[in-house]
Amino acid sequence: MRIMAFLSLYILSFYGICQECHFIIHGKVLDSSGTNPLPYAIIQIKELNKGVAADSVGHYVIKNVCAGTYTLECDLIGYTKHIEQIIVSGNQHHNFNLKEDTVSLKAIIISSKEIDEKPLQSLSVSSISNEDLLRTRGTTLGEALKTIPGLNSLQTGPSVSKPMIHGLHSNRILILNNGVRQEAQQWGSEHAPEIDPFIANRISVIKGAASIRYGSDAIAGVILVEPKVLPAKPGIYGELNLVGMSNSRLGASSAMLEGACDKKLKGLSWRIQGTARRAGNSKTAHYYMENTAFEEMNFSSALSYNKRRLSIDLYGSQFYTRLGIFTGSQVGNLADLQLALQSSVPITPSYFSYKIERPYQQVTHDLIKAKTIYRIRSNSTIELMYAWQQNKRYEYDYVPLNGSLNPALFLQISTSIIDATWHHQVSNRISGSVGINGITQGNIREYQFLIPNFRNNGAGAFLIEKYKKDKLTIEGGLRYDYRWLRAWMVDNNTAQIITPTRTFSNATGTFGIVYSLKKNLTFSVNAGTAWRAPTVNELYSNGVHQSAASYDIGNPNLKSERAYNFITALNYSGKRLFGEIGFYNNQINNYIYSKPDLQLIYTVRGAFPEFTYTQVNARFRGLDIKASYVIRDSITFTTKASLLWAYNQTIHNYLIFAPSNRYENSIRYAVGNLGKLHGIYFILTNIYVTHQWRVPPNSDYTNPPPAYTLFNADLGFNVRMGKEQVNINFSVTNILNTGYRDYLNRYRYFTNDVGRNFTIRLQIPFTLVSKK
Amino acid sequence: MLQSKTKKILIGIFLAAVMIGSCNKKESAVAPNISNEALTTVVLALKNTNAPYDSDTATWQQLLGANGVPLPIDTSKAVLNLHANCLYTAQVLIYDKTQNPPTDVSAEILQRENYHLFFFQPTPVSPSNFFVSDTTTSIPGTTINPTGPYLNLTVKRTDLDTNNPPMQVGLSDNFITGTASSGHLRLVLRHQPNAKNGTYFPGSSDLDVTYRVSIY
Repeated sequence: MRIMAFLSLYILSFYGICQECHFIIHGKVLDSSGTNPLPYAIIQIKELNKGVAADSVGHYVIKNVCAGTYTLECDLIGYTKHIEQIIVSGNQHHNFNLKEDTVSLKAIIISSKEIDEKPLQSLSVSSISNEDLLRTRGTTLGEALKTIPGLNSLQTGPSVSKPMIHGLHSNRILILNNGVRQEAQQWGSEHAPEIDPFIANRISVIKGAASIRYGSDAIAGVILVEPKVLPAKPGIYGELNLVGMSNSRLGASSAMLEGACDKKLKGLSWRIQGTARRAGNSKTAHYYMENTAFEEMNFSSALSYNKRRLSIDLYGSQFYTRLGIFTGSQVGNLADLQLALQSSVPITPSYFSYKIERPYQQVTHDLIKAKTIYRIRSNSTIELMYAWQQNKRYEYDYVPLNGSLNPALFLQISTSIIDATWHHQVSNRISGSVGINGITQGNIREYQFLIPNFRNNGAGAFLIEKYKKDKLTIEGGLRYDYRWLRAWMVDNNTAQIITPTRTFSNATGTFGIVYSLKKNLTFSVNAGTAWRAPTVNELYSNGVHQSAASYDIGNPNLKSERAYNFITALNYSGKRLFGEIGFYNNQINNYIYSKPDLQLIYTVRGAFPEFTYTQVNARFRGLDIKASYVIRDSITFTTKASLLWAYNQTIHNYLIFAPSNRYENSIRYAVGNLGKLHGIYFILTNIYVTHQWRVPPNSDYTNPPPAYTLFNADLGFNVRMGKEQVNINFSVTNILNTGYRDYLNRYRYFTNDVGRNFTIRLQIPFTLVSKK
Repeated sequence: MLQSKTKKILIGIFLAAVMIGSCNKKESAVAPNISNEALTTVVLALKNTNAPYDSDTATWQQLLGANGVPLPIDTSKAVLNLHANCLYTAQVLIYDKTQNPPTDVSAEILQRENYHLFFFQPTPVSPSNFFVSDTTTSIPGTTINPTGPYLNLTVKRTDLDTNNPPMQVGLSDNFITGTASSGHLRLVLRHQPNAKNGTYFPGSSDLDVTYRVSIY
């Protein structure tokens, strides 16, 4: 059992590493006298879900830790669990003295969360946490994830940003918001995920066909937004995050209060958290972008009860946003778009304002989740989850003529999800999980027609098994899904209500190997197949997409997409060099995209180019590279590259709207301490995004924008205030105030991207009540 | 074999899901299609100033289907037949026939006249009749025909808004015909909130339709 735990932690520790985290925490585990070493204790960093086992003489080493404050937990059977906070700003030596525990003799349980959220070890997992996460505070989820190789963001101006993994986005990515798959109108390229990034103390990305555990669709990958584990130590604690930005005069504040009860209510923990974010019009290097202001208000609460074998979690969250759509992108028709393309700046000049005017979107997202885990034995766990979520989206269009107060479109989608999973261990070497998922969702629309009312029901069952021996892990999984989709809409010609119904069912499979070639060199390979059913907009949409000046026509006969994904990675963590190089090849047959028909549709508002959803065979092939080299103890150089070739095999040409290659180089200087300022660091980053020349002819209104280079800088440190450590970060993005356009920004036809921006971030933890 | 068993189990779960889901029957009630601003009908009503009995109307119409999706354009009546060498007064009338009774959209435009500007482009047009300025109705980007024959029609706006200084609107116009000829007339309504300056460029197009014209 202990060896299993050790192995799991050992393997897990490999996959949590992905940023500039090269510090080492090491030391000895000793008894209360401080003389006798204790072997095989488990040392964990709570914040990172990362841990190691001490060796036979009590010595332990945790590698690849970022600078920051951590809660270290040292646990050994027969001894009281020791919890201690330490600050890491360089390599750290730390000894533990454990007291003997005469009362309890408990088994070590790897929390089911870890098993659950990393179901496949042969797929590459990258995370952002601590310092790296702090540096993204105040930005969108999509923006924050851009620092991971292989990730891009599909943007609609400065406020709407959707994550993209290996060139795929929207319904091909699953986002797990605190363990619940986010279900909204995620098909829309201007519909950003309705998630407050402040709830997370860690954001992870599983690249590859990871849908086996979570349901079909995720043929590109899974994003996990993971909140901090609720406190176990009785008391009341809190944290305040404040962010200010110069460019859009953004202000964000997020406050969190959490606690654990003692005495009769021992085992009960809770948290409440809220965020407010507001920004005005963003500015490019030389001009403001009209109506790009936004506001956001979020709230969440969590309650957890742990007693012996049972744990119950309740979670509720609310998300609200109102965001302006850049007025310069509102083109009446194709002739307008051509006029806008001829002008190097938006035709109508703008100024700074916090005011949000039509066109704008207003979205709310409510989520309720109940989860219970029951430990049958230390190696067998049952987990049940129910979640309900509702997304309401109002889109207020431009009303030039009558000044109507109505929205143009209202969509409400309600989703219920049930999940049941059994995690088991067959023998010392074989472990796995079996589970079923069920989903039902209903969508209603009002005002205009964009997508119809529909009901979508789905069910799936999966089995994942793992075999581990010494340096080798072999894993495999199978999944089967069934889907039923019925739409309700009025036939345009007969005015009768029609209810087209489609069913889809298919299998998903995966097989992977992880092998430690050497002590610090790991090789992993995974081959999988996954599928995605066409979404309602791909099947039934019909109408003008105003901000894209296009006329989109759905295709009710679309088939499911089938992906064959191969991904392999080599991970090295030496004394001074750390790196991971990953290669992927994702073959997607019947890949659905909206293809230009090269003909115009005439309406009263003029001519629009017509696009029809169509299916082709596509191949996404690329490399993700990341390497860090410790030049001197205080200076680390990091390089990252994301390279992608997306090819449309049906037309024997490149696939449109694929991200261009991206390179990021940074140098981090750990200054150390200066008076009361601790852990001072300075980071200079250079980002180079190439010109996307891999595009098919006659497929876009204009050529992709040229390559661009950006420089960013960060300065951070922490200050002790009483017992707490306040983290402070200053950053400047686009230092040279470069005017540039990005191929993945849908506003590239109309405006430059955001100019120079100064940001200050404060992270202030506090303790209200502290109990022994 | 295994697959069929799995499928049975899945359908079982699925039926359970349907039962949970069927509590909500909202989606089977399809809400009517309401468009904030549907323009369906654009009418040019002309009167000959020399002969009041000589009038002509041309109607461009595109109705919406039951689902709000545009039906084919009806251009059968989008034809102006004018006498040569005459001065006509013209009114632009715009209707939304998806409403019952139809909404007079031109009245709404009149209320927001400070934000709107009409452009009229006869084609084929000769280089000497094509001027882009603060007061002309020419549409930038129009293909200019160097040789002809040309449509001998000139359009001048006759109404003014309440901007300071006042600017033209184009709901009321003069159509001046020359010698007998034929061609097309493109009508564009530009929407220019806080940016109207007499030129075509600011803002976006609310309306962009074309009529056939013959002068005899």
